[in-house]
Amino acid sequence: MDASGASEILERLRDVLRDSAVEERDWDAVAPETTIESLGFDSLTILDVLYDVEEEFGVALEPKQVVKTRTVGEIVGLLEQYGA
Amino acid sequence: MLHFLEYWAARLALLSVDLLPPAAASRWAGWLGCLWWTADWPRRRVAISNVLRAGVAEDEAEARAIGRAAARHMGMVLVESMKSALILDDPERVRARIPEDVQAMLVDPTQGLIVVSGHFGNWELAGQWLSRYKPVAGISRPMNNPRVERLAQSRRPRRGFRMIPKYDPDPGRFLKLLGDGEVLALLVDQHSHRGADVPFFGHPAKTHTTAAMLHLVARAPLTFAVCRRTAPMTFELTLTPLIEQPRTGDRSADVEAILRTLNAHLEEAIRRDPDQYLWGHRRWRS
Repeated sequence: MDASGASEILERLRDVLRDSAVEERDWDAVAPETTIESLGFDSLTILDVLYDVEEEFGVALEPKQVVKTRTVGEIVGLLEQYGA
Repeated sequence: MLHFLEYWAARLALLSVDLLPPAAASRWAGWLGCLWWTADWPRRRVAISNVLRAGVAEDEAEARAIGRAAARHMGMVLVESMKSALILDDPERVRARIPEDVQAMLVDPTQGLIVVSGHFGNWELAGQWLSRYKPVAGISRPMNNPRVERLAQSRRPRRGFRMIPKYDPDPGRFLKLLGDGEVLALLVDQHSHRGADVPFFGHPAKTHTTAAMLHLVARAPLTFAVCRRTAPMTFELTLTPLIEQPRTGDRSADVEAILRTLNAHLEEAIRRDPDQYLWGHRRWRS
């Protein structure tokens, strides 16, 4: 996928994170290199996010692949692999 | 200071349990439970109120009797958990009823499984028994007293059973455990300030959503376990057939549907043996 496709996925992902998150933060500042952990998600709250991401992009992510992702950019890459 | 006193009280109780034969230790712990019931009046008041609210007692006298019996039961649970090897190594001590679909998950080393229960019967024994199939990780909140928590951890038989904290900074921790084919054991009957409002005995109760979300996101199979005492140091462990909730796209609705099912299974067990439930927890806070 080209850069504009990845950029669009990132934008939609930001919206999902904004809606799913418990904490307030500057979601527009979230960049591909931003780590998931730094966004304040833990082992419980991340589950809400993953459900909403799958619904938003119409994909069923493989948990074994999800746990390998550490940054927002890696999630974008994973969504690209799933054809989002 | 209170933590210090609690710690030494726990150490003395453990010493007495170690010195006694198992049956006598169980009776002794039951007596300590009754003593706790008499002494801890705030908790006693909560327990009586909960029993009445759940509708498992006709009047306050019956609720008081159930609460006292439950306190005795909890004392025995502590001893049974510490001396669980005696129970787990004796096939006559645990009669297990496991449906075929759950059995298939347990014997498949690649398949993760979510096992849910409540503070009923001897829930910890259930987790330890299941660890004969595959590693079991029990999700728990550490005790308020860190000294007693360390003591309890040091006394838990290891086998394939271990406790892990409820809030893990590694976002993928629970998903990874299920992906590795382990059993994740959770209790769903403690108040959760950020949980979902789901009826428990007909009254809204903030309920932990983790088990439901793991089922929906990890697509891991889910079952409910009841480990009830049928005689001193003897138990019947029953697992339900796999609980399945298809995703509808409405996260809250999906979670609520699963939690209603789990609560219904727990209520059924409690109605049958109300004296084996931990009534002293403030379950309804609204």
